[in-house]
Amino acid sequence: MNTILILLITFPVVFFLSLLFEGVDRKVHARMQKRIGPPIIQPFYDFIKLFNKERIVPVTASSRIFTAVPMIAAAASIVGASIPIASLVLETGIGGDLILILYLLAMSSVMVMIGGSSSGNPYGAVGFSRKMTMLIAYEVPMFISILSVSLNCVSLAYYNIVSAQIGMKSLLAFTRPSMAVAAATFLLCIPAAADAVPFDISEAKTEIIHGSLVEYGGPYLALVKLAKAASNFAMTFLAVSLFFYFPALLEGYASVGLGALCLCLVTALIILLLTITVPRTVFARLKIGQAFKFYWLIPLALSIISVVLSTLGL
Amino acid sequence: MVDEFNEAKEIKVDYTRLRIPFGPVHPALKEPISLKVTVRKEEILDVDIRLGHVHRGIEALAENRNLVQTLYLVERICGICSHSHTTCFTQALEEIGGIKPSERALYLRTLIFELERMHSHLFVLGIMAYEIGFDTLFMFTWHVRESVLDLFEEITGNRVHHSMNTIGGVRWDLTPNLVEKVNDSLKKIEKSVNYIQEVFQDKTVEKRLCRVGVLSHNEAQELCVVGPTARGSEVNMDVRRDYPYAAYGELKDSFSVVLRDSADAYARTEVRILELFDSINLIRTILDELPNGPISKEESVLKLMRKIPEGEAISMVEAPRGELLYFVKTNGNEGLWRLKVRTPTIPNVFGLKPMLIGCEIADIPVTVASIDPCMACANRVTVVDQGKGKKKVINWENLRRRGKK
Repeated sequence: MNTILILLITFPVVFFLSLLFEGVDRKVHARMQKRIGPPIIQPFYDFIKLFNKERIVPVTASSRIFTAVPMIAAAASIVGASIPIASLVLETGIGGDLILILYLLAMSSVMVMIGGSSSGNPYGAVGFSRKMTMLIAYEVPMFISILSVSLNCVSLAYYNIVSAQIGMKSLLAFTRPSMAVAAATFLLCIPAAADAVPFDISEAKTEIIHGSLVEYGGPYLALVKLAKAASNFAMTFLAVSLFFYFPALLEGYASVGLGALCLCLVTALIILLLTITVPRTVFARLKIGQAFKFYWLIPLALSIISVVLSTLGL
Repeated sequence: MVDEFNEAKEIKVDYTRLRIPFGPVHPALKEPISLKVTVRKEEILDVDIRLGHVHRGIEALAENRNLVQTLYLVERICGICSHSHTTCFTQALEEIGGIKPSERALYLRTLIFELERMHSHLFVLGIMAYEIGFDTLFMFTWHVRESVLDLFEEITGNRVHHSMNTIGGVRWDLTPNLVEKVNDSLKKIEKSVNYIQEVFQDKTVEKRLCRVGVLSHNEAQELCVVGPTARGSEVNMDVRRDYPYAAYGELKDSFSVVLRDSADAYARTEVRILELFDSINLIRTILDELPNGPISKEESVLKLMRKIPEGEAISMVEAPRGELLYFVKTNGNEGLWRLKVRTPTIPNVFGLKPMLIGCEIADIPVTVASIDPCMACANRVTVVDQGKGKKKVINWENLRRRGKK
């Protein structure tokens, strides 16, 4: 009974937190540009406003896919973000849920991409092809880095990796060189997964008018934005709890439970600011070829090194 | 009939080619221009440029007004280089009427001219940063531009349409107090421009701008492109040096013609940044050497206007975007027979085609921004009905009737 209650609460909590994180991101971004910036709860206003707007489905779109896709994307990323949080609170997990989380997060990007291509807009088509290229570029190193983690902890269950850190009383990224490399790879992949500026090629505003999102408006756009916010939140939370589980440094009881969760959330926010907000303030957008080259030269090489190191037991 | 039908069926559609409408409305374009771009994947194969979306019938309007009214009308051709337009127009009128403005007036004209060049260049540098997704640089550049606009407001009372020029002189004078203020501001602006130059040498910026939108020296000469676009392709031309006007003849030692030979978007950006330093230098010299004397004629503008006889003149200035040319033909009765404006954007915009072919989609906004197009300047006389391919001139009555609908 308790379990079901916690699971039910997790969804609204994820909804709230992901939009709050987006608000903080926007505020800090604005302050770094000498702007005042929107209030932190602006994403909530946007969400409510968009939901009150008209639903428009373009005549060229295949309407069923076009309308279904935002819901699937939002659901996938919210569930993907809820699993780690619920596992931390319940202190349990099922074998292989790490694969499920990564699948759900990739699913939400793929869904938005499909929605864009089903809109019948040429910019949606260009957005589709760019996003496809980017997915291949960053998902591969990201998955390999997670593979390296599970090789190291001999488990594909999310909670086992967290409890391994508690057992070692150390952060996973600092235990072995292979894990430090894996952590670096994962962090490098976050900006691309979040479509943040040096890698926001698939929805470049000035080039292809937001690519896949070009025809979306009203409630559909609200859902797509929610999906993005939730997947950003999930990415950063995953990075924190897999590689930098700070509560593990604390003694005994404080290393699990709600207090630990709060500490994790604060760390996740810092990671979000470092991996998404700062790059998007200090860099210009890359071209698709340059971004692809970057991901296949540095993060992919790093991830392979990490796997090799962890098979060697380093 | 059957044969024709079969023939029509055999036409092969090349599905690898995608035709993307870039504009007339697009977030990368501040003003409407239509580029029909044919792409294969990301590579651009062909470009079709269409103008005429913001036609306002200004040349036809000018023919129905008197000279002083037209002076304020031409100022509204462009929101960025409004002073260039009025200077060019008043120069033509002064030549026809044989009116010679005082030295001080000419220096003040030049001062506003250079401030305007700074404002325009900072504007387009910001746009460039925005097009490559570098929002922070965009915000910073426009922050600096804001202080130039403040100077305009201090000197002339207006931020955009300065209304500085009048027939036979200028309308506002510089007080010693103002000279000090301008000098103080210039120090801050120079510091910021130095910083902007540094940031534009950032690696991510270079990656997006180098070898993008290349317009070779020969193509640039064939297409007669002007201004920073031409100077970026090493075409050595600058109206300020070649045909000095206003006070540029006396000030020719205070500025240089900046040339770059890499002929890409980065070269054009670099030319603009370096011209900012030249402008700062020019303004300082003007403030130092400002001659004394009246700023305008004693007679009222209306009296001067009535004295202007029938005649024609061509006047040229170096607007921030390049050579701006006016042909003015007065009717000796306070009005105009003909006003022809050739803005720098018209030659520059046709340079877009050789620049874009072979580039990627991601390069379109950068390339378009790098020539600093001003569509409102370029569209004045004819309306092109794109569906039928017909051209017609819209006159004032027609425009009025359309407005009433």
